[in-house]
Amino acid sequence: MLRRVKVVPLALAVALFAALAAAAAFSAASVSYRSAERDGHRVGEVLIGDQVVIVLRTSAGGYVPLERAEVVASRLRAALGEELGARDIEVMPVAGGSALYIGDRLIVTANQAEADAQGATPEALASLWRSNILGALGIADVSPEAPASGQEATPSQEPAPSQGQTAKPAAAAGDSIDWTGTAQKWVPIFSLETEGAYIGAAQVAGPPAQVAKVKGVAELRLNFQNIGRIFVYVPVSAISLTKLDRVQGVSVWATGDIGLVRF
Amino acid sequence: MRLGKRSTAVLLMAALLSLGLVASAGWGLGLGDILKVGGIAWLVSQYGDQIDKFIGSALNERQAQINGATKVVPILSVGQGGYIGAAQVVGNPQNVKDVKAVFQLEGQVGSFRPNIMVPTVTDKVSGNPERAKGVGVSAVIQFRI
Repeated sequence: MLRRVKVVPLALAVALFAALAAAAAFSAASVSYRSAERDGHRVGEVLIGDQVVIVLRTSAGGYVPLERAEVVASRLRAALGEELGARDIEVMPVAGGSALYIGDRLIVTANQAEADAQGATPEALASLWRSNILGALGIADVSPEAPASGQEATPSQEPAPSQGQTAKPAAAAGDSIDWTGTAQKWVPIFSLETEGAYIGAAQVAGPPAQVAKVKGVAELRLNFQNIGRIFVYVPVSAISLTKLDRVQGVSVWATGDIGLVRF
Repeated sequence: MRLGKRSTAVLLMAALLSLGLVASAGWGLGLGDILKVGGIAWLVSQYGDQIDKFIGSALNERQAQINGATKVVPILSVGQGGYIGAAQVVGNPQNVKDVKAVFQLEGQVGSFRPNIMVPTVTDKVSGNPERAKGVGVSAVIQFRI
């Protein structure tokens, strides 16, 4: 009898986990990346569904094209979790080139080297990627006020709009983050849980410049009786009860806390 | 279509595992736990990308999205009862891709709760885990063993 009682939560846990994976599989457009050969060179391709939307031909920031594609795919995947319109996808000038943003999220940067490799200007290249993404998502281009599609992206823009244009993001993966070196430090952690609130210290690690920005860690912990639990750690640049301002590139290695309030 | 097959496979696996667990109830302690650990580790390795996407979407909704490289790997936790599940790791893109698993050691002394998480480049339980440099944990989903 006791054993049966034990088995029920086990089976429930596995079923829950399976449901989670299944739900995730159906959420958002499917973004992937792969290595491919173009003109005798290995390139990194980012795909939405089966359409290549970004092609990266050059290495940057210590990352080869495939690694850059992986990072860009990860960003794109995160950005596509939201409801999007054409105006949410923008090309903006940045130092050394043009960058493609979705909302306020940087997706990829077209630097001069990548643009040269693709025979286009950085702005034209970024605009091409934008068009490819809109096309793959089936969003009509209402052509915002800015640079978007039309722009002199043509010359070297190679074939057509959609499929695998060669795109080579300037800063690739690490775009705005300099990954050189690793720093660690201890900061306060505040944990909100199903049973109460805890406070303590957390050891965070990441690129030195990013770690320096971290002021604390916000933790959300949900405990489901004897079945399981979920933790989420968010290193933040400001202590605020209303907004989570995550510091990118920083993660948590260790924590130690004590109970503050019991619910 | 592909997603449909994948989901079917996941659900089938879950059903098989559940059956195995129920059956194991009559065989004594151990088999159910082994099936659970192995099954969940397998699910995580097979569906890490989807779980990663799910976590990313959940964080996005709270304006806490991660823009760097992430990966979901199995996590094994000891110290406060055993737990197995999935951990999302984040950090240097070149090192994130090498992470195979996360080992977590936690405890409780009075109301103080220490917790150490070590992303490793090996998925073997024996020996000293080799820490993946520049990589840490951002989220965890675990089930009690």
